[in-house]
Amino acid sequence: MKIGEIIKLLNAEVHYLHNNQSDAEIKSAAACDLLSDILARVHVPDLLLTGLNNAQAIRTCSVFGIKAVVIVRGRPIDQKLIDLAHEEEITLLSTKDSLFIASGKLFSKGIEDAFEPCE
Amino acid sequence: METKFDKTVEILFELKVADVMRKDIISIGPSDMMSQLKKTLQERRISGLPVVKGSNLVGVISIEDLIRWLSDGDADQRVEEVMSKNPQCLYADQPLIHAVKKFDQFGFGRFPVLDRESGKLVGIITRGVIINGTLKKLEKEYKEEEIRQYRASHFFGDISADQKKVTLKFKISGKDFDNAGKASTTMKKNLKRMGIQPDIIQRAAIASYEAEMNVVIYTNGGVMQYTITEDKLSLNVTDSGPGIDDIEKAMQPGYTTSESWVKELGFGAGMGLPNIKKCSDKMDLQSEVGKGTTLKIEILIGEDHEVK
Repeated sequence: MKIGEIIKLLNAEVHYLHNNQSDAEIKSAAACDLLSDILARVHVPDLLLTGLNNAQAIRTCSVFGIKAVVIVRGRPIDQKLIDLAHEEEITLLSTKDSLFIASGKLFSKGIEDAFEPCE
Repeated sequence: METKFDKTVEILFELKVADVMRKDIISIGPSDMMSQLKKTLQERRISGLPVVKGSNLVGVISIEDLIRWLSDGDADQRVEEVMSKNPQCLYADQPLIHAVKKFDQFGFGRFPVLDRESGKLVGIITRGVIINGTLKKLEKEYKEEEIRQYRASHFFGDISADQKKVTLKFKISGKDFDNAGKASTTMKKNLKRMGIQPDIIQRAAIASYEAEMNVVIYTNGGVMQYTITEDKLSLNVTDSGPGIDDIEKAMQPGYTTSESWVKELGFGAGMGLPNIKKCSDKMDLQSEVGKGTTLKIEILIGEDHEVK
C-alpha cells in the first residue's frame, strides 16, 4: 500500500513527508506504545502506529530503521516533534482514529504485522 | 520505501531556475524584420528567441511562427507583428521543479526567465538546460558521496599503526527528554559513515538507545563512550548515581522500578537491560547504590560474528 493511500484511509494529517514521496510503499506495520517492545523485535516494520507523541516516537524509528510513524487518537503534535522528524527523515502523520481502529483499517487492506512470536 | 528517483526529485527542488538557465541570451528586437529572424535562427541553430526592447521582455518568437509567416507568403514584416505577446515566464528564484511542470503544462520549447524584483529578462530555459543542469548536479553529488564513503569505509584500511582505535564520547543529561536518544541516533549515523556492517549497526544502535534512555530516565546524567577498533565496538556507559540495588533482579525481563511517567515515555517495562544483553556479545553491569552504575558492552565486528 502506498503511503498516500494510508494518508487517505486514516484521514491523516501530514506533518512531514520524507522526500515528498506519497508513493513510498508500506508493506508491514507495528502498533505499540511500549517502545522497548518494538526494539526487542527481529523484523523492522515499515510503519509504526503509536499513541506516544514525544521525541522517543521518532528516535525509536530512527534507531530501529522504521521509515514512517502515525500518531493516533488525535494527540497534539508539537513543532519540536515535526522538526525532529525532519532532521531524522522520518515521515510523520497523525490521525484522530484510535490505535485499534487505525490498525484495523490497515490490517483489512492487507498491511502485514511485523511481529513474530517471542521465543 | 525509497525509489531510484528520490535523488533527482530532490535536486529539482534544490536547484533554482537561475542555477541552470542560459545567461548568454540571444534575442531580437520588436522592430527587427522577419528576414533578420530567419537569418539569426539559421546561423545560431536555435528554434526560438525572446523579443527584447531595452532589457524588457516584450514577447517570444519561435521557428513555428517563422514557418507560418513563410507559408503565408507575406511581405517582410516586423517581428512584433508576428510574435506571441505576454509570454509565459519563469522567475530566476523559482525551484527547477516549477520549470519542469511548466514545460509539461504548455509544451513550449523554451521559457524566458525574469528577475522577480526588476521584471527584467535575465536568462532562457529550455528542456536541454534542465537536463544538463540536473545531470551536472547529480554527478557532483555522486562524486562527493563517493569520496565521503571512500574516506569513511577505508577509515581503518588506509591508516597504518600497530593498533587502531577510535573513541567517541557523548555527555548525557539526566531528565532531558527532548534530547534523549540523540547520542544514539548520531552514533548510528557515524557508524554508517565508517562503513560498519548494517546488522552490527542495528544491534549497537538498539543497545545504545536503551542504555541512553536508562541514563536519562533514572540518573542525573552520565557519559557514553564508544570505542571502535578493527574487530569490535565497545560502549561504556557511566553515571554518578543513584545506582542499582539488585542487579540480578534488574536483569530479569519485566522487572521494573519505574513510575507511571516513565511508562508514558514508552519505556520502563523492564525490557531495557534484557534488550541490551540480547544485542551484545558481551555485557557487564556494575553498580553501587549512592555511587553510580557502569555498563560495558561489546559487539564483535569481524565477519565471523555477523549473526549471533
